[in-house]
Amino acid sequence: MADSTKNKITVLMVGNPNVGKSALFNRMTGSNAVVSNYPGTTVDFTKGTLIEGRQEYEIIDVPGTYSLEPRDAAEEVAVRMLRDCPDAIVMIVFDATKIDRGLYIALEVMERGMPCIVAVNMMDAAHDKKITVDTAGLQRLLGVPVVATTATSGEGIRELAEQIRKAQVADLDAILKRLNGENTAKKQVSGCGGCGGC
Amino acid sequence: MVAVGGAEQMVLSSDAVLSSDARWEMVDRLTRQTVTYGTYKRTLGDVLGELTVKPLTGIPVAVAALFAFWSIFCSFAGALVTDGFMVKLFDAHWLPWLQSLWPDPASWHYFVFVGDPLADNCFEAFGVLTSGLFVSIGVVLPAILIFYLMMTVLEDSGYLPRLAVLVDSVLHRVGLHGYAIVPAILGLGCNVPAVTATRILETRKQRFIMMSLLAIFIPCGAQLGVMLEVIPDMVGMVFLCLIVGFCLFGYILNKVIPGENPEILVDVPPYHWPVKENVAKKLCNRTKGFLKEAVPFVLFGVLVVNLLYLGGVIQALAAFFEPLFVTWFGVPKETVGPLIAAFLRKDLAIAQLSVIPMTAYQMFASVVLISIYFPCVATFVVMLREGWKELIAALAVLFVVVFAYGGLIHAIGILLGVA
Amino acid sequence: MIQKNSISGIYIGLLGLVTLACGLADIFVWAGINAGFQVGILEIAGDDFFRWAWGGFIMVCAGLFMLAGSRKALSLQQFAKVTLGTVLVWLIAGTDIFARLCESIPAGEEAPEFFNSLSGFIGGFAPPYSPAIILLPFTLVILYLLYTQAYDTD
Repeated sequence: MADSTKNKITVLMVGNPNVGKSALFNRMTGSNAVVSNYPGTTVDFTKGTLIEGRQEYEIIDVPGTYSLEPRDAAEEVAVRMLRDCPDAIVMIVFDATKIDRGLYIALEVMERGMPCIVAVNMMDAAHDKKITVDTAGLQRLLGVPVVATTATSGEGIRELAEQIRKAQVADLDAILKRLNGENTAKKQVSGCGGCGGC
Repeated sequence: MVAVGGAEQMVLSSDAVLSSDARWEMVDRLTRQTVTYGTYKRTLGDVLGELTVKPLTGIPVAVAALFAFWSIFCSFAGALVTDGFMVKLFDAHWLPWLQSLWPDPASWHYFVFVGDPLADNCFEAFGVLTSGLFVSIGVVLPAILIFYLMMTVLEDSGYLPRLAVLVDSVLHRVGLHGYAIVPAILGLGCNVPAVTATRILETRKQRFIMMSLLAIFIPCGAQLGVMLEVIPDMVGMVFLCLIVGFCLFGYILNKVIPGENPEILVDVPPYHWPVKENVAKKLCNRTKGFLKEAVPFVLFGVLVVNLLYLGGVIQALAAFFEPLFVTWFGVPKETVGPLIAAFLRKDLAIAQLSVIPMTAYQMFASVVLISIYFPCVATFVVMLREGWKELIAALAVLFVVVFAYGGLIHAIGILLGVA
Repeated sequence: MIQKNSISGIYIGLLGLVTLACGLADIFVWAGINAGFQVGILEIAGDDFFRWAWGGFIMVCAGLFMLAGSRKALSLQQFAKVTLGTVLVWLIAGTDIFARLCESIPAGEEAPEFFNSLSGFIGGFAPPYSPAIILLPFTLVILYLLYTQAYDTD
């Protein structure tokens, strides 16, 4: 990882529409991205800066998308951002009440071999709906940092910011093995997970 | 490629890109191990949420929401701030003071900055510092403020996507789907963010139809504020005219333009109480944006129009366009001035209309004309950014619509015997 | 529970009927079938389309929602309808009161000063009232039921 350099590291915030990416973004960067309660509020990207542990991050709030095969112009922006910033860390934001949809796009991003970190947002809403998410388990299975957050109240934001530097390239093979119950010791340096793009 | 060997033993070669089925399979297994669902009791909020989407109960609620929106808008912007305080402040204090202070009423600079020396109200004076300030600060600012406050509540509560579900079947007739209501409502505040918001529509056809209809038929909040002040009794009729035009030309465009209008599934989020800080922040940002960008534009617009008057350009244009205006649209030739102002700011144009002597019908026709005529320059610029081909096509549509619809309204006026 | 259900059901049914009647009266007066009238502190002026025809339509819907929800009124599904009807009445009454508030803060157009006198301000809230405002105290019962969560959850 390029932790030691003083250069800006780009962090892309990717996830389904209306999971609270903009709210998280505002919390982390103190920006004024527009936040609303309907899918499709963000249709263009917004940049902001976060300084954490003497490292400067450029955080980019990207329009929400259901998959990396864009359906509309806003989703195209998201996919283009991923393509244009191949060195970026990707922060994948989940809606804790709709983990499955978030995981789908997470896997798509992971296939591209980009370093990832997962924020499971809207924990308050999940709690209200009696849904519990085992973030530690998710972290163990995925092999990337997973942080529980609630953007509206600010819970977990600190930890999320601290964890950015621990972002990992996920290894899909290893995820599969762990799912099958095998205990894979973390094997790094397997290089790129293998997407055609980068 | 992916090799799937049984549900339990899935193997993956290292350079794999998963198929979407394989991905869903993995998602399934991941969630099974990490997410647990407790027994959830439906709450009153959930049932209310369902009721607002079902047509039988949802449509009355939407009608009521519209009622409340307009009622509060009128009470606050019209009765309280503008009529209650601003008119008095500007007409009884600011205007006489300026008229007594500014030297030489016959000079060009008096005409440009203060306007008509005999005027007794700030609408009619039409100087940069009289009408310009009155329109932007006295009329439009309160309108924008209350409008955005209510819109933020709509946005943050989660009502917008429900509205989208409700109007879906209607909008499909005009080549759009329900979610197009989002840019349409944003457009009632300001057309600029609305044009960018059309990105949530899937096909180019939909985006084009929406952008054209937006630029032509959706009046912005600033314009609404001035309309409420200048022609309070006619706003309803103007709106009706615009809605009819929206549907009529949407229907035609849908038939003419090739392309698809796919169905989408709208993701309806649960209702939330709007978070106070978020509402305050949005309101603050939008108002700041208005003060920084729109107010100078209004002042600049008055300046340009006044200079054009002084230079005789407007009089010449008025004489040139007289046949078109008088015989085709049925409005006085003096409306050329406001139409030029309309390119800069539509609110300004309508304020300017109010001082031209004309009949109620002519007033009505010219307000509609200004609404549907050329988008203001800010909208123009964002449309250009979204694609110049679309912009040119939208302008072509616009010319056809202005001529056809302007003529149609005149014809109906003649038939009804009011023109 | 059944006892409680039927008592609140009757109350809600009556409230719905009255709301429905008020809404219809609003529309009739606006349409010119009846002249505008005033009974005690209740007034239906019917002078403009927006307030009386449109607003009246909303009152009619509010009444119908309450009536529809009055059978087994305290079940979740039914009580939601009642709540929705009540919210519509609140909406009409709220906008009426807000309009009065906005009109009575500034002094009249002719007066030289900006703010209204205190007595003028309070005078702006004097009767007669529109039907929705008069119904307001009677909807407090629904508010109480809401607040105490008297309805069943399923």
